[in-house]
Amino acid sequence: MTKILLVAAREFRHIASMRSFWVSMLLLPAALFIAPLIHDLLEDDEPTRIAIIDRDPGPAGEAIAARLAFEDRRDELAALSRYVRRYELEAADPAAPWAVHDRALTGADVAAYEDAGGLEAALERIDAVRPDDVRDFDPPSPDYALVEPPAGLAEADAAAIEARRDTIFDRATAAGPVPDDIVLIETDADGRPVIHLVSRDRPDATLLGIVREEAARALRTQALAERGVDPADSATIEALAPPIMISTPQPGGGARETHVIRSILPLALAYMLLMSLLLSGNWMVQGAVEERGSKLVESVIACVRPWQLMMGKLVGTTAVGLSMILVWVGCAIVAALMTKGIVADLLRPALDSIATPGAILAIVYFFVLGYVMLSTLFLAIGVLSDNMNEAQGFIMPMMMIILLPVMYMLQAIVQDAGGIGLQIMTWFPPVTPFAVLARLGAGIETWELVGTAILLAAFTALMLWLVGRLFQASLLKSGQKSGIGQLIDRFRIAQD
Amino acid sequence: MSILSMQGVTKRFGDITAVDRLDMHVAPGEIFGFLGGNGAGKTTSLRMILDIIRPTEGRIAVLGEAPGQEHADRIGFLPEERGLYPSMKAIDTITYFGRLKGMDAATARAEGMALLERFDLAERATSPIADMSKGMAQKVQLATALVNRPDLLILDEPFSGLDPVNQQLLEAEIVRAARRGAAVVFSTHIMQHAERLCDRLLILRRGVKKFEGDLAAAQGLVPPTVRLTARADLAARPGIAAARILGRDGDWTRYEVDLSPDNDPGTLLETLTREGVLLRDFEARHAALHDIFVHLVGSEPQGEAA
Repeated sequence: MTKILLVAAREFRHIASMRSFWVSMLLLPAALFIAPLIHDLLEDDEPTRIAIIDRDPGPAGEAIAARLAFEDRRDELAALSRYVRRYELEAADPAAPWAVHDRALTGADVAAYEDAGGLEAALERIDAVRPDDVRDFDPPSPDYALVEPPAGLAEADAAAIEARRDTIFDRATAAGPVPDDIVLIETDADGRPVIHLVSRDRPDATLLGIVREEAARALRTQALAERGVDPADSATIEALAPPIMISTPQPGGGARETHVIRSILPLALAYMLLMSLLLSGNWMVQGAVEERGSKLVESVIACVRPWQLMMGKLVGTTAVGLSMILVWVGCAIVAALMTKGIVADLLRPALDSIATPGAILAIVYFFVLGYVMLSTLFLAIGVLSDNMNEAQGFIMPMMMIILLPVMYMLQAIVQDAGGIGLQIMTWFPPVTPFAVLARLGAGIETWELVGTAILLAAFTALMLWLVGRLFQASLLKSGQKSGIGQLIDRFRIAQD
Repeated sequence: MSILSMQGVTKRFGDITAVDRLDMHVAPGEIFGFLGGNGAGKTTSLRMILDIIRPTEGRIAVLGEAPGQEHADRIGFLPEERGLYPSMKAIDTITYFGRLKGMDAATARAEGMALLERFDLAERATSPIADMSKGMAQKVQLATALVNRPDLLILDEPFSGLDPVNQQLLEAEIVRAARRGAAVVFSTHIMQHAERLCDRLLILRRGVKKFEGDLAAAQGLVPPTVRLTARADLAARPGIAAARILGRDGDWTRYEVDLSPDNDPGTLLETLTREGVLLRDFEARHAALHDIFVHLVGSEPQGEAA
């Protein structure tokens, strides 16, 4: 045992002294740290700028402008309502539209919200009851902003605007704010509004819908007025809508959301296992190839038995991999603490799924055994290859065998689409640890858990036995062609 | 008492017999040479002694027991193909091997430093192996074999690739180990080293033992030759198997004489003197190890098939 630990300690120190180890280990935390910044940089929180040129005497232009403003206010109110519900802050004003969650928000709700002082007044009331550990409300960016039409377009018709498309949407040369869309409302020979939408790019479907709905509403009002209906009556009729009662789960609840949140930690563990394995597996191959290449293996196996050398390498590399994961988990905890309630809110339900002793035992078992089993495969590659070029020829196919099913699996779990395929993969030993870890959150039958645990143990033992023989027979071999014949030959030599 | 013995040891790799019914023994304090050309079975024999490979037949006893890595604490080994972990420091490398041989870290380190000082490498103790010259790395590797003050030191072709200075250093270490009481077994195909160092020798040819014994016994296998300068014709005289003329100087002829199997240089000198043969010089020459090797193996030491 002492010799195994000595070999393991040397292996650990050797890998830990490599620059690539530190780069790889710090890359994931760095990526996690940088990702939100990049996300913020890439996120398009600029509103769509709309210029309305209204030459129609009817109400269409005003209606469109009012509707765009209404949409942004309703989004703000909806976001505030979700925030209030998540942190149970309804006590701030139980009658306020943002404290009612059982129906779809209507124009009346938005009007009431506005009349009560809008966001500023709402937050004042909410802050009075908000506990210290509840984060601030982060209002959504508005989707739309109305801007003045570009200079010289006030009198231009649709054809003239189209002719100047290259210059009016050119942000480099424009003096003022450049619109993304120009809504030109003219009147046709019959006195009805005609709308031209000139867009810098493809107009978004929501905007198109708003323009269509509001223009149609204006037309209907005009037609009803021509038929003697009082505009006030027609407006009342237009505003008629049945209340839609909605029942939604608590934020973080609901079938799919619950499923995803409960699977977050197991999925993250499966992903970390994968990442760490691919990295440490590569180092293991490199170490084994170098050891044989530098002809020092004979000196070593004069002191330790080949199986002790093999186990030492496995223990050392596994320790490296697990250390990386510990660092990553540590970084995640620090990130959770730094982001106050946000991550903690997410983690609480996520932890629920794996906080039982049985689940913890299953995680540790499948994680460690999976690591050893897959490291054994990498070690086999190391002892079969004379150089890293040759080793790459084995590493790539093996990575594909692991990566493809695992990627499919992770995606299937996230989409709650795990059917029979996922169950079958759970019984394919090279991906069993990933499958079980990933499925833990959503729930896995006990018989399946026990069965795959036994299968994984048996497969790992078989791999250790096979690779042990291969290791022994290959240590002093070099310069031979690698092929099935050679492989069988080495197993035969190991039996001598 | 033997510290190492082999009885009827055979090793086959498929159809190839690398070592064939080998018997030998080595006593404590003895320097024992394994001689043979390439492919003679030297390395295979040494690997069997170290339990790196197992014999097909026969029995090996190392330190009184079957071979195994559990004896590593009393064995030192320098393989023919040398290499060390390139990124490891010299002293760490020696300490690592010392610990693999059961030493505690402090003792292994202290012994390692003492060896590096003796090898004039103390200043490079903390240099990575990759930064050292080949000669320096070879000394470090020798130190890994000596760090545990082994009772049995096994060196596989230890002189190959060494410069003359390092060859001298290695010879001194071999002698030092033997004086301390260790048995030293080394394989070589360079006869001068064996001739200078070995108490006893074993000559292998294609896995078969051709000789085991001391140098005098080996020399006994090849009759001595005599070089003399005489005024008479030495052909067809009793006691002389062959007389080759090496040169002439007036009436004097210089000969190299092979003696008959029952004759010796002293008897020949007595016979020639009694018969009144005038002699200007007379020199008895015992066979060198190289000649003995050629005589037994039938080819030059390096000339064996791989």
